Amino acid sequence: MPQVGQGIMKGMGVTLKHLFGQKITRQYPEYKRNLPERSRGMLTVDMDRCIACLQCMRICPDHCISIEQTKRDADGSGKAKPYPIGFVIDDSRCMYCSLCVEVCPVNCIYHTEEFEVQAYNRLELARQFGERPVDPRIDPKPAVGKKKKPTGKKAPRTVEQPRTGGEAA
Amino acid sequence: MQTVLNLLEAEPIRLLVSFGAVLFLVLNLAAVLTMAERKVSGYIHLRFGPNRVGPRGLLQPAADVFKLFTKENVSPGRSDLWVFLGAPIAMFIPAALVWLVVPFAPNAVVADLNVAILFFVAITSIGALGVVMAGYGSRSAFSLLGALRGAAQMISYEVPLILSLLGVVMLTGSLSLADVVRAQGDTIWTWYFLPQLPMFVTFYIAGLAEVKRVPFDLPEGESEIVGGYMVEYSGMTWALIQAAEFASMAVMSAVTVTLFVGGWQPPLPFLDLGNFNWVWFGIKTALIMFTFQWIRWSVPRLRMDQLMDLGWKILVPITLIWLFVTAGAILIF
Amino acid sequence: MLSEERRAHHEGALTEPASGRLVSPDIRDEFGLETIDMNMGPQHPAMHGLLRLILELDGETVVRCDPVMGYLHRSKEKISENRMYPAVIPITDRIDYMHNIAMEYGYCLAVEKLLDVEIPPRADAIRALMNEFGRIMSHIPSIGFLLLELGAFTPILYAFRERERIQSIFEAVTGARMMFHYIRIGGVKADLPEGMPETMWSYIEGLEERLQPDFVDLIEGNEIFISRTRGIGKITQEKAVEMGLTGVPLRCTGVEFDVRKHYPYGWYKNLDFDVVTDEAGDVEASYRVRMGEVRQSIRMIKQILENLPEGEVLGDLGRRLRPNEGDGIARVESARGEYAVHVVSDGSDTPYRVHYRTPCTVNMQLLQEIVPGHYLPDIMPIMGLIDPVSGAWDK
Repeated sequence: MPQVGQGIMKGMGVTLKHLFGQKITRQYPEYKRNLPERSRGMLTVDMDRCIACLQCMRICPDHCISIEQTKRDADGSGKAKPYPIGFVIDDSRCMYCSLCVEVCPVNCIYHTEEFEVQAYNRLELARQFGERPVDPRIDPKPAVGKKKKPTGKKAPRTVEQPRTGGEAA
Repeated sequence: MQTVLNLLEAEPIRLLVSFGAVLFLVLNLAAVLTMAERKVSGYIHLRFGPNRVGPRGLLQPAADVFKLFTKENVSPGRSDLWVFLGAPIAMFIPAALVWLVVPFAPNAVVADLNVAILFFVAITSIGALGVVMAGYGSRSAFSLLGALRGAAQMISYEVPLILSLLGVVMLTGSLSLADVVRAQGDTIWTWYFLPQLPMFVTFYIAGLAEVKRVPFDLPEGESEIVGGYMVEYSGMTWALIQAAEFASMAVMSAVTVTLFVGGWQPPLPFLDLGNFNWVWFGIKTALIMFTFQWIRWSVPRLRMDQLMDLGWKILVPITLIWLFVTAGAILIF
Repeated sequence: MLSEERRAHHEGALTEPASGRLVSPDIRDEFGLETIDMNMGPQHPAMHGLLRLILELDGETVVRCDPVMGYLHRSKEKISENRMYPAVIPITDRIDYMHNIAMEYGYCLAVEKLLDVEIPPRADAIRALMNEFGRIMSHIPSIGFLLLELGAFTPILYAFRERERIQSIFEAVTGARMMFHYIRIGGVKADLPEGMPETMWSYIEGLEERLQPDFVDLIEGNEIFISRTRGIGKITQEKAVEMGLTGVPLRCTGVEFDVRKHYPYGWYKNLDFDVVTDEAGDVEASYRVRMGEVRQSIRMIKQILENLPEGEVLGDLGRRLRPNEGDGIARVESARGEYAVHVVSDGSDTPYRVHYRTPCTVNMQLLQEIVPGHYLPDIMPIMGLIDPVSGAWDK
């Protein structure tokens, strides 16, 4: 049986104190805070450095990067090297996990501080970086090879985390 | 000009015009109260309520009303349409009618009945009917539960509500609200909330329960039955139910102020404003409405059986005991 | 929809009503009373996610409560079979989205059992530090959700203020506010930035001061809160162990079991803390256990910040991760209970099978066992005791 008493009065005192206290709302978009340097925003690619190694395409868990590779002599060295002729990043799938950033050997794909991703049409969210547009609706073939060649190395005997002290449940 | 004023003094026209004015006031008050509620809740939650529409967000109620006018009024397929659509009206009318007898200023009462308190009690009881109509007419399990809870709650809390009035009636000797205000004198320590403190607290709590606000908002229980008796309403029908809820909250505060906190009387004699004493009435009513909102955002809600226990086992005995104390005090002093 | 044996189980179970409030089926038949079959459906503002409860109500008393889960099933285990080992970590982030770090931690520990890599001590300490911050980040909103469902709208906003502040700390350290992707196989991704230990220290001291007025004063003495939560959802120790509960529902009955203490991993071997238990076994006890755990986490964070070892933070694993064949099993303590990961590797780039044993899937049995006999408004506090997260029970 509830009685109106001290506990409720104390609680009401707390809310009254907050009523006259300082508010913590930040009025966005007039106020935009400074993002920390490690913030992971939208991705962008520096196409001059990309060597079309397809590592980012392979590691992406959401299959949001699609690269069309061709051989071209881009820097005039006489040898035809892999060149990304089509590169699309689908922002409607990207989950900002930064795996592609970490795996890129030449550091050409990186996060910016943009986070306001909006469009009226889902296809507009796919940003093309190359010369030839790539259709983002086609799932890039998952290039993860399931090489089931047994390596012959067995894992060390998986010792359970050893049990210490306390009453057994 | 003089003929127009003379015409307005004539009895039926005076009643209609002044009631029309009060009704206009009540509808606007309902809209303003939605805004006040959101601002107060925002400030308690360390944020600013709505502050984008208009300066400081003051045009928010206008934007809300406009939106609700243009929304589709959905009704469930198998619902009983007359009952379903009649329920918001049945909820709004009692909340509006009580304003007929509330005294705003020394000579400003729409209808100075000499059984005003009886009128108030009778009309407030009709409010329970609207809740049951809404829940029954919606023909859905959640609404039925909400309606049953609402009916049980509103009917049980009328008993402490009425019993706590009786002390005031005994002290005044009349059932007229205008007399009650006049008898309270114009100093803050002669108002009735001091000698009748338990009755004041009981009337306040029973008023909270009649208006179905937290901690008594189980008929509308937002976490379990998502809107209870009004879950199937949308658009203007829902807006009318909300307006009815805010209007009845306003009328309950107004009657609390009239009965216990001195009505239009100023707290000290030299602050008397004559015919402008409705300013004091307004300030006091606003203060009581603020406390309604303050409680809403601070405490969780009671469960049905605890609610009934509070009403019948705690509030009714308190009022009965204090009635005897008041009667004894009147005989002795 | 229920099989015959399950229906019989329920009818049998109800001859002994959980509280005196249940009317037995014979009396109901004699008077011709009927029960209402109601659905607290997947669309509901207070269901901790997407849960469907099939309720049979006798007036306001719940006679039968069957949870139907699966509305948020995202096939995380199948997806993990087709991604390379490091790419599974963002997938695990999204299982229990209130305490993500524990999910990553469990998976990484399981994979590390299949490799022979040495985890640097600084990485261990930072893992434990972030895990405890994640625990605070999850327990305080849980208390807020309990009160939101009871009808008080304010504590949840104060709780989210705390969560936002911790999320800013995480953003400065990991780069994201919610899906951190910070704990890696072999350590953590990157070291704490400059000045971060001081920021964390000042935040923790501020939190300790704010816990008393904002949460304890507002909630604990409130008579309405006490009457709504005391004696509701009472679990006995035997029943808790029999149902396989872990985490707060187990500790609030008095059983002292915490994976950090009894199967220690990582830096927890060097930390000094108590396992918080309470004897009562009802919803109010679970509130007290959660507040106690927040205080113990604060204590642990202070110990770690005082003795943070120096060194590097990521062991060297080479470019392509191909663990040895075998199974790796690891168990960690998340805010919801005991979370275990079982990784089966066949020597290739991707796991052969990953199984996530999430505590919520098991703890949700409580709804079926404990709720009958209570009133309809009591379902919400009992959900607050279990404190499930919909992503965790459906994976």
